[in-house]
Amino acid sequence: MEIERAETEELRIGVFVCYCGLNISGTVDCEAVAEYARGLKDVVVVNTNRYTCSEPGQQTIKDHIKEHNLNRVVVASCTPLMHEPTFRAACQEVGLNPYLLEMVNLREHCSWVHMHEPEKATEKAKDMVKMGVSRARYLQPQIEKEVSVDKSALVIGGGIAGIQASLDLANAGYQVYLVEKKPSIGGTMAQIDKTFPTMDCSI
Amino acid sequence: MTDVGRHPRIELLTLSEVVDVQGYIGNFRIKVLRKARYVDEKECTACSDCLEVCPVTKPNEFDLGLSTRKAIYQPFPQAVPSAFVLNLEDCLGNNPIACGKCAEACDLKCIDYDMQDKEVEFRVGTVIVATGMDVYDPTELDEFGYTRFENVITSLEFERLINSGGPTEGHLIRPTDWQLPKRVAFIQCIGSRSEKRGNPYCSNICCMNTVKDSLLIKDHWPEVEIKVFYMDIRAFGKGFEDLYKRSKAAGVMYIRGIPGDIREDPEAKNLILLSEDRNEGKVVEHEVDMVILSVGLVPNSDSPIIRQLLTLSQTSDGFFMEAHPKLLPVDAPTKGVFFAGCAEAPKDIKDSVTQASAAASRANILMSAGKITIEAITSHIDEELCKACGICARVCPYHAIEFDKEKKLPARVIEASCHGCGACAAECTFGAITMRHFTDQQIISQIESALGENPQDKVVVFACNWCSYAGGDFAGISRLQYPPSVRIIRTMCSGRVDEKFVLHAFKLGAPIVLVSGCHFADCHYISANRWTQKRVEKLWDKLEKKGVRPERLQLEWISAAEGLKFAKVMKEMEELRKGVTMEEIEYTQKEL
Amino acid sequence: MAEEADFKCLRCGHRFKAPYSPKDEPQERACPQCGSNSVRRIKEKAKGK
Repeated sequence: MEIERAETEELRIGVFVCYCGLNISGTVDCEAVAEYARGLKDVVVVNTNRYTCSEPGQQTIKDHIKEHNLNRVVVASCTPLMHEPTFRAACQEVGLNPYLLEMVNLREHCSWVHMHEPEKATEKAKDMVKMGVSRARYLQPQIEKEVSVDKSALVIGGGIAGIQASLDLANAGYQVYLVEKKPSIGGTMAQIDKTFPTMDCSI
Repeated sequence: MTDVGRHPRIELLTLSEVVDVQGYIGNFRIKVLRKARYVDEKECTACSDCLEVCPVTKPNEFDLGLSTRKAIYQPFPQAVPSAFVLNLEDCLGNNPIACGKCAEACDLKCIDYDMQDKEVEFRVGTVIVATGMDVYDPTELDEFGYTRFENVITSLEFERLINSGGPTEGHLIRPTDWQLPKRVAFIQCIGSRSEKRGNPYCSNICCMNTVKDSLLIKDHWPEVEIKVFYMDIRAFGKGFEDLYKRSKAAGVMYIRGIPGDIREDPEAKNLILLSEDRNEGKVVEHEVDMVILSVGLVPNSDSPIIRQLLTLSQTSDGFFMEAHPKLLPVDAPTKGVFFAGCAEAPKDIKDSVTQASAAASRANILMSAGKITIEAITSHIDEELCKACGICARVCPYHAIEFDKEKKLPARVIEASCHGCGACAAECTFGAITMRHFTDQQIISQIESALGENPQDKVVVFACNWCSYAGGDFAGISRLQYPPSVRIIRTMCSGRVDEKFVLHAFKLGAPIVLVSGCHFADCHYISANRWTQKRVEKLWDKLEKKGVRPERLQLEWISAAEGLKFAKVMKEMEELRKGVTMEEIEYTQKEL
Repeated sequence: MAEEADFKCLRCGHRFKAPYSPKDEPQERACPQCGSNSVRRIKEKAKGK
């Protein structure tokens, strides 16, 4: 398949392989993975760390971004569902757009599930890092845009729920438009005599 | 209710319907059709002078037809706004020969026969859907004789009969002879908990409503004999069990078993119920004076209109679907829209009020911040490449793509409404759609790296961010072991997996490709994974035509909690992989 | 009587019948034998193959 490979800027990728204590390094040979990453195209620096998510670990990433003028960062550690926000923030702190970070899930998707096959796990980890670096090469900065929120609300339906929501919002200071199809608000509740469990009047 | 009428910040629009909603979170443009009341709402003092001269008599809807009203009327005494309303369909009209009496009688001159329907437009930041429900109409359950026997009424009709503001001023009577019924039967679960007729779900409120109704009767007329026929009594809420006990202590008889048939004594108009007492294990006949059908709740008949206007979804019961059943229970899938009350599911007053306050609070969070950061992972349409076919607009679960069929202009993404599933990009055959942060290039480069060396040993797995990828994480956390042949590629939704990704993987020598996503009920993009399934089905046909075994493309729905299933499926993928020969792979590479 | 169609599991090969109508909304399907979701509807002309 033909895909455009043209790049306008020079790619400078940093790869950070995490040991996660023994969680990753107990199965995967992290140094071998790091060595492999050094040979990948556009990778200018590779670093291993005992705990990349720790303060010193994050500092290392920030220092390397500055020192090597990195424009893509690959962190090979745990699931992005856990620490992607952490590493994105670290990138942002030193002026790198957070969407230029790519994470490789060596822990949940590799070391923890292939504990009895360290060699194959290491080979898989290399493939995973290679996939992450490839993807990182095509990452683009993204901007999280802001939109304003009007300080007014539409409430559709004037039964007990609509009445309660309207009063809460109006009392909080917002303009409320309460739209009711019938000639009066009240809904089904107004048709009911007493209400359970306290047997008090509905209106 | 009156607080709403006089609140300076609530604009109450009655006799009104939302007819159009444009825009997106924080910036909705609303169009409301305000029907003419023909009575000046501000001037009318509800003095009733008009009512006395009106010659028209019609059934009163508020009392479910159990009483009458005039063509000009107040729906009920506590109505808000308190102003009268003129139903022009019932009115004889402002023709001096025909009528015009009410206008003459009104000192304040607030009746205007020429009043017109008006369209009102305004902008809002948030929307709360509190459209409520309807009660189940038991006509189809003919065995209970609702339409055949006058003394069979519904629980809502009973509410009007026992209400001091109702047609009988609170005197309990039965319809045929206007006498106090001495023996009353309640039948539960009418229209609820049935797979065959009515609805399969429990309507939540009917058990306690009957318990309450039985006590209302016992409080006023202790001599009335009450039998309640039920399947289960669900008295689960705070104070509910106490009330149930009180009802039993007051002598209300609870009989397990729903009557199969009701007959009427043609003379006395009494009703004979045949029922099996499941606790006693025998069939018994019960003669009563009146039967009250404890009817369930059904989605509001206007729900489809609101659903379309706000791009909402419904659960299988027909009520509105939440953004997440546990973690976002009052948020609608459309950002900036929230649910309150029975619109979302049948619930009692306390739960409706609780949910309404929660919805107001959720809306408040957005509005007090005054601004919101929108998703960066959105789709973008290249106007040059777009052929205006409209497929993207059709597959978008959020209607976030504007497309005008007639004008044939390029489609346009409303970024603030886009949730970033990527189904549009996967369906676009012209390559006109770029999915930010999950571009074709990015995904294809991962496929190429995964299959760079010894592709025959690898299984390519596409996993969605929310469910199957997280299910893989859970397998890891649980240390569930599976073969190291799988290479996982994450997308936000399985709906992003383009046909060309799968074919490209096969072309590069992948023996097995798995597309995985959320279970249908869990899809984080409403219904985007329905398109995943359709696409995989199409691919199976395509592969077969090319002489490639469709078995090599697999599909699986795995939730974030199904680590066990994830590991099991990965083992199955490895077994399938072993069954794919080199000849097969080479043939596939040549054919595709 | 609800309409039915033939289905084949592409995981374990099991063939089975299940309610199906072209008018239906797409629904989640699973093989009654192995539980897999790789369930393919066998179209009329392909029957017996």
